[in-house]
Amino acid sequence: MTSYAMTRVASGIRMLLAAFALAAFAFFLIGPLLNLVLWSVAERWYTPYKLPVTFGTRYWEQVFRPTGDAMASLATSVWIAVLTVIVALALSIPAGYALARLKLPVRSLFMILFLLPQAFPSVAIYINVARVFYQIGINGTVFAVVLVHAAHGLVYSVWIAAAAFAAVDKDLELAARNIGASPLKTFTSVTLPLAAPGIVASGIFVFLESLDEFTGTFFVGVPQVTTLPLLLYNAAQGGNYQVASITALILLVPSVLFMLFIERFLRADVLAKVGS
Amino acid sequence: MSLSQRQLALLLIAPGFALVAALFLYPLCFSLVSAFTGPEGGFSLQAFAKAWELYSGDVVFTVVIVVASCLLTALLAIVIAGTLTLGENRYIVGTLRALYRWPLFIPFIVAAQCMRTFLAKNGLMNNSFVAMGLMEPLQAVSFLDWRGIIATFVWKQMPFVALLLAGALAALDRATLEAGRNLGASRLRVLVELALPQVMPQLLVALVLSFVTMLSVLSVPMMVAGSQPTMLTVDMAFRINAYGDYATANALGVITYLISAGAAIIYLKRGMAKEGTP
Amino acid sequence: MRILTLACSLAALIVASPLSAQTLNVASAGDQNMVDYVKDYLAPMFEKSHPGVKVVSVGTGPGDAGSQKIYEKLDAQKSAGAADFDVVVIHQKGAGLMVKEGLLAKYTGNVETSKLVSSATATNSLGADVGGFVIPMFQSQTALAYNADMLKAPPATYTELKDWAKKNPKQFGYNGIKGGMSGVSFVAGWVYAFGGDANKLIQGPYDAAEKTKWDAAFAELKDFNKSVVITPGNAGTLDMLNRGEIAIGPVWVDMFYSWQADGKLPPNMKLKLTAPGMPGQPMYYAVPEKSAQKKLAEEFIALATSPQVQADGIVKKFNWYPGIDAKHLEGKLDKAAWDKLFTDITPAELSQNGKPFPIAPYFNDILEGYEKKVAN
Repeated sequence: MTSYAMTRVASGIRMLLAAFALAAFAFFLIGPLLNLVLWSVAERWYTPYKLPVTFGTRYWEQVFRPTGDAMASLATSVWIAVLTVIVALALSIPAGYALARLKLPVRSLFMILFLLPQAFPSVAIYINVARVFYQIGINGTVFAVVLVHAAHGLVYSVWIAAAAFAAVDKDLELAARNIGASPLKTFTSVTLPLAAPGIVASGIFVFLESLDEFTGTFFVGVPQVTTLPLLLYNAAQGGNYQVASITALILLVPSVLFMLFIERFLRADVLAKVGS
Repeated sequence: MSLSQRQLALLLIAPGFALVAALFLYPLCFSLVSAFTGPEGGFSLQAFAKAWELYSGDVVFTVVIVVASCLLTALLAIVIAGTLTLGENRYIVGTLRALYRWPLFIPFIVAAQCMRTFLAKNGLMNNSFVAMGLMEPLQAVSFLDWRGIIATFVWKQMPFVALLLAGALAALDRATLEAGRNLGASRLRVLVELALPQVMPQLLVALVLSFVTMLSVLSVPMMVAGSQPTMLTVDMAFRINAYGDYATANALGVITYLISAGAAIIYLKRGMAKEGTP
Repeated sequence: MRILTLACSLAALIVASPLSAQTLNVASAGDQNMVDYVKDYLAPMFEKSHPGVKVVSVGTGPGDAGSQKIYEKLDAQKSAGAADFDVVVIHQKGAGLMVKEGLLAKYTGNVETSKLVSSATATNSLGADVGGFVIPMFQSQTALAYNADMLKAPPATYTELKDWAKKNPKQFGYNGIKGGMSGVSFVAGWVYAFGGDANKLIQGPYDAAEKTKWDAAFAELKDFNKSVVITPGNAGTLDMLNRGEIAIGPVWVDMFYSWQADGKLPPNMKLKLTAPGMPGQPMYYAVPEKSAQKKLAEEFIALATSPQVQADGIVKKFNWYPGIDAKHLEGKLDKAAWDKLFTDITPAELSQNGKPFPIAPYFNDILEGYEKKVAN
């Protein structure tokens, strides 16, 4: 009985500690975001005040003013991000499968190759890309921006897709083949569904990467294509905190929606897997 | 058979390869040429000599920042993903699951901006501590230096790594982990000795991706910390904007490349060798 | 099959993009307020007088980096048919470079208002001859911003500042040279003060031996840096002033006023133009050589540099010093709005201590000297 009580007390203390750790974690995680929200409604905020001196929606009105193009830019941003995900996945599903399952010469070289666009600070690259695009006349189109974003995000989709395919149990594929499924049928009905969560996850990152991209969009898209980060970039660099915070909060909306939707998808799949 | 499989593999990877080759490798060649060309034309290592002379300190600074950020990110991500998978308290797991992914959505430039008003000497963090009575106002220090950069990187990348890791852990065979628990192993031991080794490849993938991403971010070091010392991206931008000196900027780019190639090779060696090539 | 659908939808996208011919694209290197100035103030006015024309305003980021992006974009388009931008708003360094590379059109002869500008900066941009290619949009100036509550008598000269900073460690902040032009300007002012002959650096001609005279100045600056805060960027300096973490630091006057208007600086912040002087520079309106809408562009710039717009938009709305000569604004502006420009810095101080930047080769020597001898 006493030992039971002791365990209760010990687990109570552990609970308390865990709750405290969680609270601290939440503070560091949410604090900076809270800061964003505060700035978005701060009309005046300076020393020695710890909180905004006057609150108001002046800057929200400014961002959503008739001549402002925040919403149109947001729509363009999301549209580009969705197309980028489609292009990236169309390229990376076969590539990921090849990397994970097939005998590929100089395999590691290919892996590193996809990493490269992510690693090189890219102004110098985009100037030259713009040069080429001007020559073939596609600069300033959504298509051009999508291509650039896809090349940049491809590392996420290829690497993660390769890992996802590699994680699929080969015995299941063999079993499907043994009951007479064709290789293509095996791929579409066994391998792909099992790798789907990973592939969806890779899509999320391509999406976010595209939503976040500034330099490439500037060189191959501007002025015909304007995305939200282009607005954000100026405001944030120039220290216009209110406008930058509001733009950032707007950028959060599609990401959160997208994420909620994905979350549902991922969960169902994971549950299905637990049963099998 | 083996030959045709090779051909199939090359065929499948070709479209992706073509995109990267056209939009990255081809333009990269111009950068490489520029980095290895002297002021009077012809092959030269002068740009590298200059890059090293002026920015050797920043090279070290960059490597230290990025490695430290990766280690901290990995540690936090393991704790989070481990709690999510093995945690027994529904409320804690639920809260954590709802919380940890938020920074993932934030573009780097916004993260940088959040952090520079959050971590400052009289920023929201210190002000909150003072208001809660945890700290005297005079003890407040500014974190807007290397610590700020690391904090921002970890804040932004931790959800990414945790997400991948949690996904990998969730896909593990529960029975093995349960068996470990039933044999009396603590959750920490189950995590470290049973679960983690199995998801090492995914962890490494996530970390290598974070590593190269951090290396190429300009806005965070530019906006969070003063410029002495600073990261290589800032130096590159400065070289171009102030002097129009593409040669040295590209040389710095090549150095950045070598650093990330190092990380990529570690990943390829350890991760893939363990998984076994098919 | 999927690839095919994808290809089709992509093909449809390429076709869907072109815009109507009557679009005037204006690219501004500068802060958001400059982009908004074009978008909200100039564009509606211009669209009203030119029915059927749509003005598109894009920003390319603050500081020389913004001008550099415009340069790179125009340069990438060299061999293409027409340029993406019809009007560009650029810094001095960018202007010199773009004129040298033949990317800008000689247009000021077609614009009447160019006769209203007599300042040297209209033809001389850091030693480069830009006459005919540019008209100043506004003139800006760096100065020290200080919190009058924390600091009653601000240092009046660089020498006083040096001593003051030593006595008040970590109370002065500037952003080095990589974080934006206000720090660069402070360093240039330092060299003017302690490195010998400022006029020689401003007027040229260039003499490579000159930089050897700055070693002592740089050594002192390195020592000075030990007792100051290096802030993250132009905005970073203002930011620390906002939170009261530093008491004084160099800022752009136009940024200072817009931050104050946005409620991000305490009301008791003031400006001080330290002797022997700190640099300022104009922003220029220019027209790319390959613009397809040169005539429209010229009409746009004529509107933007007209006395009424300069009075209402530049001076009254933003507290920028006008780009055209001040005498042409007489009668267009009430006295209060004009005087507000000179609340902290009098016209006499401005003309005495407001200096141009050094000519480009000296400018680069100063930056590189700083990198080698101060930062490293």
